[in-house]
Amino acid sequence: MRRVPLTDRAVRSHRLSAVCPRHPGNQIVSLLTLLTEGGGMHAWAIATAAVVAAGASLVGSFLVVRRMSLLGDAISHAVLPGIVLAVLAGGRPGGPLVLVGAVAAALVTVWLTRVLRTAGGIAEDAGTGVAFTTLFALGVVIVSAAASRIDLDPACVLHGVLELVPFDTVPIGGVEVPRAFLTAAAVFVVLVAAAIATWPLQVFTAFDAEAAAVAGVPATAVTTGLLVATALATVAGFEAVGAILVVALLVVPAASAELVTRRLCWMVPVAILFGVAAAVVGYLAAWRWNTSAAGMIAVVLGAGYGAAVVLAPEDGLLARLRSRGGFRWRVVCEDRLATRWRQEERLREPSAERAGAGGRGSLPADATPPPGLGDRVADLWLLATGRLERPAGAGLRLSARGRDEAATVVRSHRLWEAWLGRHADVPLDHLHPPAEWIEHHLGADVRRRIEAEVAPEGSDPHGRTIPPES
Amino acid sequence: MTLAAGVSYNTLVVVAGVAAVGFAAGVVGSFGVLRRRALAGDAAAHATLAGVALAFLATGRRDLPVLLGGALVAAIAALGALVLVRRVARTRDDAATAIVLGVSFGLGIALVSGITARGIPGGAGLEQFLLGHAAALTAADALLLAGASAVAVLVVVAGLKEATLVSFDPAFAAATGWPVTLVDYALVTLVAVMVVVGLPAAGAVLVTALVVIPPVAARQWTDRVPTMLPLAGGFGLASAVVGVALSAAAPRLATGPLVVLVAAAIFTASFFFAPRRGWLARRREQRAVEGVWTRGRVLAAAAAPAGEGFLRHEIAARVAGVDAAARRRFDGAWLALVREGALVPARPAATGPADPAGAGGRWRLSTEARGRAADWSRRMRAWDEIVRTRPADARTSLTIDLPDPGTIFRDDATRPPH
Repeated sequence: MRRVPLTDRAVRSHRLSAVCPRHPGNQIVSLLTLLTEGGGMHAWAIATAAVVAAGASLVGSFLVVRRMSLLGDAISHAVLPGIVLAVLAGGRPGGPLVLVGAVAAALVTVWLTRVLRTAGGIAEDAGTGVAFTTLFALGVVIVSAAASRIDLDPACVLHGVLELVPFDTVPIGGVEVPRAFLTAAAVFVVLVAAAIATWPLQVFTAFDAEAAAVAGVPATAVTTGLLVATALATVAGFEAVGAILVVALLVVPAASAELVTRRLCWMVPVAILFGVAAAVVGYLAAWRWNTSAAGMIAVVLGAGYGAAVVLAPEDGLLARLRSRGGFRWRVVCEDRLATRWRQEERLREPSAERAGAGGRGSLPADATPPPGLGDRVADLWLLATGRLERPAGAGLRLSARGRDEAATVVRSHRLWEAWLGRHADVPLDHLHPPAEWIEHHLGADVRRRIEAEVAPEGSDPHGRTIPPES
Repeated sequence: MTLAAGVSYNTLVVVAGVAAVGFAAGVVGSFGVLRRRALAGDAAAHATLAGVALAFLATGRRDLPVLLGGALVAAIAALGALVLVRRVARTRDDAATAIVLGVSFGLGIALVSGITARGIPGGAGLEQFLLGHAAALTAADALLLAGASAVAVLVVVAGLKEATLVSFDPAFAAATGWPVTLVDYALVTLVAVMVVVGLPAAGAVLVTALVVIPPVAARQWTDRVPTMLPLAGGFGLASAVVGVALSAAAPRLATGPLVVLVAAAIFTASFFFAPRRGWLARRREQRAVEGVWTRGRVLAAAAAPAGEGFLRHEIAARVAGVDAAARRRFDGAWLALVREGALVPARPAATGPADPAGAGGRWRLSTEARGRAADWSRRMRAWDEIVRTRPADARTSLTIDLPDPGTIFRDDATRPPH
């Protein structure tokens, strides 16, 4: 068993570059050798990061859906004094005593926040800000003051040293396994077991805490369990990625998964997958650019979240733009078809136009404005898709299929005007704008029901024929 | 240049600069706390590390103004990212704050580690921005920080009315045409500025405490903004100066945690000992209300039996039941009533006043107390009426506080006719 104090300068200079020099010009080969070189050192470090990320992502999913992300932030800061005191009392980093100390410190933070709110009337965010900064400061001061007696370095406390994880090992079946990996793996197993065992309670509480409490779910116990789980995940990741970057592992994968999924039972595995992938990619990126692995993991997580914001299938920026753009395009096309259909109607029955023009007010839809650029493009598209046709020697006109679609749009429009005229106290010349909007939304079923109710005679309030369903 | 006390000119200027920073942080932070934005500054604070590292990489210089300029850009960029995430993504506010905080801090750590690993000259000191290192400040730096702090305080004072209005009633402010969003952005930007200015003293990780703890402590002492601002400033000033002095005495300790611990001590004292909102004061007030209430219930219970008086345990059973705490309150109330002469032994002539439990332990109300007791028993009946007809009102007033019966029954309409 090798054990090297983290404060040892000689070990600190063991940065990745020294252990595994880069192979210029052959990144893939060097990536492969990275995993085997130095007795699988990097493989162990990556595995540790991945397990830590998996545990944190699992817990973080619940924190995020319960709007408790900032509590995760506070706990990840506040476990420090618990860990430091446990180490001072003789616990080993990653040992059971340290786990207990961290959980106790986390519960103290939450309890303090609650006491500040109930006994002092201090708002929750302010109380949290007071509690966790104080506890964290306390931890840093103890670490600095007792630096000669404990194996914790203030800087490592903040951002961890994943690179040094493989140096502190215990032999298991002849294999030197890093202690931090064992802790993180044990914590992960416990967290998964707890999540599966309490899944229905967690889901119920997460989505409606009040209803859950009324239905007999022990809400306080569920919440306390979540807090303990957060503390465990934090302390498991403490040595590897440091106190503050645990926040990123807790919240970012979960928030990203929330963007790409709709159900909690999918969100959790996606978050874990995302966290593990970011841990691996972040470690490799840190190795490539010779910098802090914990920092790079957080950066990769951020990039992943950004990608999720843009690319998520339903809520992503692109998806929303596409659906909005797609709708606008459909409106333009349908309006073009409807305009041509109305022109044909005027040629067919000039009496309808006279009836419309005489005394019933002007009809804005029939005052056709000159087509703009978008309309011309739409015409080309409609021509290409066979809804318009251009017979030899003539201009554009509706094809049979285009005429059917146009009739449907006009039918929706006039049915809605008829319905509004019957049910809402709207002047005749104000019927057009709402109908112009809703004509793109009505389905066949709604159209039939409206027709059955208001317009069996087959004409709209302006006295024009409502085309039949095609 | 050395002064008589052996303290160098540089030290004095640095202490003065840090004092100004602490004062301004308290003043500016007050509105952050009142507006319930206590933790938005935290994301900006953690982002400053990346700004410092980028500024160093871009210029290759370690002058404080350059680094703090970078920090300010990063802090404002972090706040911008926060606003952007809220606008664009389906992510809740708390998660957005944690994301910006974690990712930007990770970027800062990656940059600083990369700079250190490459041995770029001058890059070694960047880690001092993590936890603060006021000892490294020069007099010129301190003057810069003091100047920035003064500007921040002046801006707050100039916009005092707007900031107060928006902090206390944003809906009213918006309805009356004040630019609430603009004021909000201005306040958050000011907090970002103070976070950056406090960076050398408290460090990126803990500088939030400088804008949160002193205002929360000051809030315990007063209900008025014009009092709260200078008080918060004073607390911030004291924390900063004492913290820096402690860290000068123990050079191994970073400044930031010490400043925070001093602020926390001030807060703890405020939490317990503040005159009206403090824990002790609240407890005392609650005891007093309970005392008035319990005495009233004893009097009301004593008003009912006539003739040869009543036994102490009969009244106790009726007022307090078997609950131990209620029994204690009853004991206190009984003693007080005996002392003020409202309760007297039923036949004092037979046993003499030296035996308060005389006449077989029978008691009666003194003549003066009869009117009081009748009044109380009327109030109790009114209270029962409220409990019966408006149980929700009764429940809320009981859980919030035991009401002073004299105030809640002042309205004659609630009294039963007599």
